[in-house]
Amino acid sequence: MTDLIQRYGRGLSWLSIGLTAFWLLALVILPYLGLFEQSFRPYLPVDEIGGPNDHYTLHNYMALFSNPQDITLCLPGKDTIPGSPIYLPDLVVNWPIHLYIFILTIVYSSVVTLIVLMLCYPIAYCMAKVMDPRSLPTFFLLLVIPLWVSELMRSFSWYIILSLNGPLSTLLMDLGILSAPVRWTWGLCGYSGIMVGLIYTYVLFMLFPVYNAMTSLDSNQIEAAEDLGAGWIRKHWRVIIPHCKPGIASGSVTVFMLAASSLLVPSLLASPKSRWFTEVIQQWMFESHDWNSGAAYAFLLLVVCTIFVTVMMKLFKVGLSDIAK
Amino acid sequence: MTRLTPSQELVRAARMSRRSLMKSAVALGAVGFAAPIYSTNALSSSGEMNFEGWAGYDDLKGKVFPAFEKATGIKVNFKEAAEQDTMLADAKTAVQSGAVDVTEPTINSLPSWSAEGVIQAWDLGKLAPGNYLAGVPGAEAGGPADVDGKRMWVPSCWGTEALTFKKDTIDGTYGKIGLADLWDDKYAGKVTIRAHSSLSAMGRVLDAAGKLPQPWMDSYKDEATMRKLWDIALAEAIKHKKNVAQFWSSENEAQGAFRTNGAELGLTWDSTGANMAAEGFGFIAPKEGAFGWSQGFVLLKGAKNVDQAHEFAKWISSAEGAAAWASAFKANPVGKGGIDLMDKAVSEFYAAAYPGDALSKLWWWPAQPAWWLKTRGEYADKWKSA
Repeated sequence: MTDLIQRYGRGLSWLSIGLTAFWLLALVILPYLGLFEQSFRPYLPVDEIGGPNDHYTLHNYMALFSNPQDITLCLPGKDTIPGSPIYLPDLVVNWPIHLYIFILTIVYSSVVTLIVLMLCYPIAYCMAKVMDPRSLPTFFLLLVIPLWVSELMRSFSWYIILSLNGPLSTLLMDLGILSAPVRWTWGLCGYSGIMVGLIYTYVLFMLFPVYNAMTSLDSNQIEAAEDLGAGWIRKHWRVIIPHCKPGIASGSVTVFMLAASSLLVPSLLASPKSRWFTEVIQQWMFESHDWNSGAAYAFLLLVVCTIFVTVMMKLFKVGLSDIAK
Repeated sequence: MTRLTPSQELVRAARMSRRSLMKSAVALGAVGFAAPIYSTNALSSSGEMNFEGWAGYDDLKGKVFPAFEKATGIKVNFKEAAEQDTMLADAKTAVQSGAVDVTEPTINSLPSWSAEGVIQAWDLGKLAPGNYLAGVPGAEAGGPADVDGKRMWVPSCWGTEALTFKKDTIDGTYGKIGLADLWDDKYAGKVTIRAHSSLSAMGRVLDAAGKLPQPWMDSYKDEATMRKLWDIALAEAIKHKKNVAQFWSSENEAQGAFRTNGAELGLTWDSTGANMAAEGFGFIAPKEGAFGWSQGFVLLKGAKNVDQAHEFAKWISSAEGAAAWASAFKANPVGKGGIDLMDKAVSEFYAAAYPGDALSKLWWWPAQPAWWLKTRGEYADKWKSA
């Protein structure tokens, strides 16, 4: 605190603290508290709010566990990989519909996070340790240019690219690789379009933290590992990955949270089978006008994602302070 | 009933985040922040009024409001909302501040508006009820626009949800093609539909075939009956899921399904049919009867410019006003004589879409109370995830 005042003077220090406090309190914490309170109340007409029916209840939260439906689970094999030798029989379960959508959202968000990590790690390594530092600014520019276009436009472009008569099918047919056009959003149990969209949209949120962590690794350590006879797998496993863990963790947390809470990509790149939990929340809010249930679902998403991320961090032995580094 | 062009769709999505911010503010009870963004002299009722209506219809601002101002001297302060859910959300805050006088929901959502307690009755003495075309919802007493014997809603324009088809491959002659075709095996992977209205289409098909234990209309009575009938429709629809090329939920998505995603037949808004007409698509009422929607005006509680609001609704019921309003929405006019003043292209499109007895067969979307909307959402989720 004294450091801050010494460096920037009293006025500027208090201004920045005040603005941050205002932002956190008035624009984040208070609205959340309001929503949290609403989520425990029933959805009522305006003139009954505050009346005898307006009492606290867990009903909105319990809705997640009601309304079961027979669902044929999409298992790997059979339809997912055409011509796959693995054949799994249809498995029909009777699950609450929103819980099912919720679980799928978490599962697919985790897969997206994993794929993004596998894509970014080698790129980050090249940027930090292999590439000529003079060409880096150009490379960064190339990476960032797509961000100049709005997320909506980029997702809609993907919708066109992946559609039945879109450029991708046309190109592959012209090249003689495909004999009939394909709906590219229908793969992976109907989530391939969403996954492509999410990976594309959030890839940089992984790349930059991992790159950052990698640049802080002294190249001498890598050379030392090589000199002592480590192969490239061992070199990455024992030296580089442990050093990059904070970057990987913060990138994974960001990508997972963004993917699970994305609304635009899952609705634009949907297939006739896909449904994302945020779409259910939007439906509560905007179609059913039931803000109370919408709020409850939003908090369920927040709480479960937070628990999931915390468990994952415990599992991989990463502390919060590592991420903040 | 959002009917937007792609660019408007973009604007709408860009506004999403702002809207959710406003929601949080509302939840917080900070209504005061969000509401008074309109007229500064709202306290002294004057020659102006505050109207919140559908976004994306540029002719409203460019032509209709100036014409109204010229006719009556009343200036319209227009606030655009992308969907009526937003209008209802805004109305909830506006009843306290009086910032909005009139909004324009569809008749089937009137029960929600009424139940929310945000609207007051129109004074029919200040309107001209004789102007309305017979048969349009809200034109006569005792219809769906009345709540406890009071007229809560007056019509502004109407349109349909019917079949858009590719002319090359599908014979769209009136009387030959119907809602049952949406589920026909020969259209596997070629159909685009809206999740919830396609279940209603299935319900009507089953009803007509005598495969329901009671009429489909009963599903609007209470939740238990709705679940009984919708379970049957859902199970039957799931059997034909392979027909679905794409679910649409906005005008933009519906057009995309036809343009690039291989859809050849769809249950869509009339605007989609009109917009795709130049690209080899036709629009026709199904033989079972098209779904009809009708939008109109409600007067909010706490409105500050009540007389001006009545002038406004009255002008829209005149031939000139009705034609202007319908032209702006590419829809049908509610006032007598309106159709004669319409843009030729629009009136011809509608004449082709509803030949013969099609207009008398219109199936108006029934009133949609809160419990119905909630259950409908749940069934849409089950249908999409299946």
